[in-house]
Amino acid sequence: MTTLIAGDDVYAIAEELFTAMVDDEPGAVSQWFGDTPAWQVPVVAWVDLHGGWAGRASVTTERATADDLARALLQMGADEPVLEEDLHDAFGEVANVVGGNVKALLPTQGTLGLPQVADHDPGLPGSVLVTEVVLDWRGRPLVLRVRGAA
Amino acid sequence: MTISQDTFAFVADLVRRRSAILLEPGKEYLVESRLLPLARETGATGVDQFVAQLRANPTPARTAVVVEALTTNETSWFRDVAPFDALRRHIVPELRAAGGLARLRVWSAACSTGQEAYSIAMTLQEVLTPPVAVEITATDLNEQVLERGRSGTYTQLEVNRGLPAPTLVRHFRRAGSGWQVSDELRRWVTFRQHNLLDVPPPGGPFDVVFLRNVLIYFDLPTKRAVLERVRGALRPGGYLVLGAAETTIGVHDDYERVVLDRATVYRAGGARAAAAAPAPAVAAVPAPVRAPLGAAGTRPAPLAAVPPRPVLPTPARPAGPVFAPTSTRGAGLR
Amino acid sequence: MRALVIDDSRTMRRIVAQGLRGLGFEPVEAEHGQHALDLLAEGGPVPALACIDWNMPVMDGLTFVTRVRANPQWRDMTLMMVTTESEHSQIVRALAAGAHEYLIKPFSVDAIREKLELLGLMPVGESA
Repeated sequence: MTTLIAGDDVYAIAEELFTAMVDDEPGAVSQWFGDTPAWQVPVVAWVDLHGGWAGRASVTTERATADDLARALLQMGADEPVLEEDLHDAFGEVANVVGGNVKALLPTQGTLGLPQVADHDPGLPGSVLVTEVVLDWRGRPLVLRVRGAA
Repeated sequence: MTISQDTFAFVADLVRRRSAILLEPGKEYLVESRLLPLARETGATGVDQFVAQLRANPTPARTAVVVEALTTNETSWFRDVAPFDALRRHIVPELRAAGGLARLRVWSAACSTGQEAYSIAMTLQEVLTPPVAVEITATDLNEQVLERGRSGTYTQLEVNRGLPAPTLVRHFRRAGSGWQVSDELRRWVTFRQHNLLDVPPPGGPFDVVFLRNVLIYFDLPTKRAVLERVRGALRPGGYLVLGAAETTIGVHDDYERVVLDRATVYRAGGARAAAAAPAPAVAAVPAPVRAPLGAAGTRPAPLAAVPPRPVLPTPARPAGPVFAPTSTRGAGLR
Repeated sequence: MRALVIDDSRTMRRIVAQGLRGLGFEPVEAEHGQHALDLLAEGGPVPALACIDWNMPVMDGLTFVTRVRANPQWRDMTLMMVTTESEHSQIVRALAAGAHEYLIKPFSVDAIREKLELLGLMPVGESA
């Protein structure tokens, strides 16, 4: 069950996303070493996976990190304020890209929900954590989680 | 961080002269992003300083590295479609017309992670039917990239680059977060470690040799030595496919330039089979060439710091065509 | 040349549209398949290209492809899926429905250009 979605594959998906779309060069992200710091102002984006295997792929990070991620994706200046709707849209799309590629790792064909964004992780009742990967992007952590039916 | 207009103008002019590719104003970011890794590698403070060093000492190898960085991408499949169209529409029909196409042998030289070799395999699978045996020999100096080539496994980003979607679904299956080439095509390709200045790899004589975007790294004597080795590996009348900015003209005269639609290829002559010309008195010794782009995942140096040593002397050849046109010339060609 | 960019994410529309603009296209953005059909129904020159997300509210990209293919008026429009749907079977489905190309998210802008070169919508090697 836990081998269904390997952490290495989730890491590879995230690495490709950052390499191609965020920083436009290899080495944009690495694995985070050490403890994950407690969040000050967290933001979480997720997409649900439906079908033979039901679950959720989520990305959690500090609000300031998500703002920078939105700036990078939207090609905004470093000091430009990030509107709430821009943050939701850009960070939600990060979860969408991760989730869609996670779905492709599954043995059965399923469908993908639309991305959701919130300031806390609402959890997914009845699920277990399948994979957790912590990325280091510009020295700041992002946590990728895949949860699914036990 | 931005580059100076002076740097941009110099690089744009260099790339235009070498590759006919135009870098118009507004492409400064491209020059910067492609050259920054090279600048860091040499310890330069930035792209401006790196380019200033190049201008002060423009060796062929350094110049080629810059041109390469701006004109090619490491993971191309069919992005440059012309050579594969030539293979499909002209070279294979010509071989078939010449009679008895039982086996087709192709060498993908300096193959890196194998995209070219598999692109050749995919092309041939479309136009050849069993029992024609396809034997593709893919060589590189770097064992690491060969290992990746053997696995036939590519990332999502790699299969996004220049691989038509119908071709992807036909020849690949999902493998974790990436994709893997079908077992059948993997059986067609043999990966071997090989130095272009050494005796050609087993698997020949070859009907077609792909040697693209490699010669640009070398000085003239080295180019000539490599082309001589390749000539020895091609059967007479076989084809050499070079990169768009490369040619045998003025380097080695036992190849005939042939235009096949939008592709320019080079047909191996029959001079060797006829009578070997006397060797010149002085043997060309290739200059050591530094590894152009050594980082994993990029095209490795086809020749990494080759120690100076005697290589095959380049036979002197008479000027002009070295073999007479025959009636078979152009068979299968428009 | 006009190009439709159909995606419910403004972020993704901006990335695709800017990439296309850099390649000489005039992008027109739509939030979902129905929005794109409405834009097409308004008339004007038929876009040469549509870049289409799969999962969208109101009308998904696969339905949009099917609708466009059913109308001979739009047969010259090149359809490229640009989506995170990346199963082998999904690509086969989209191609069977009439999509010409398929770009998997994530992608780089270079990859858009290379796909358009394969589709004959770019002069090959025009821009490095």
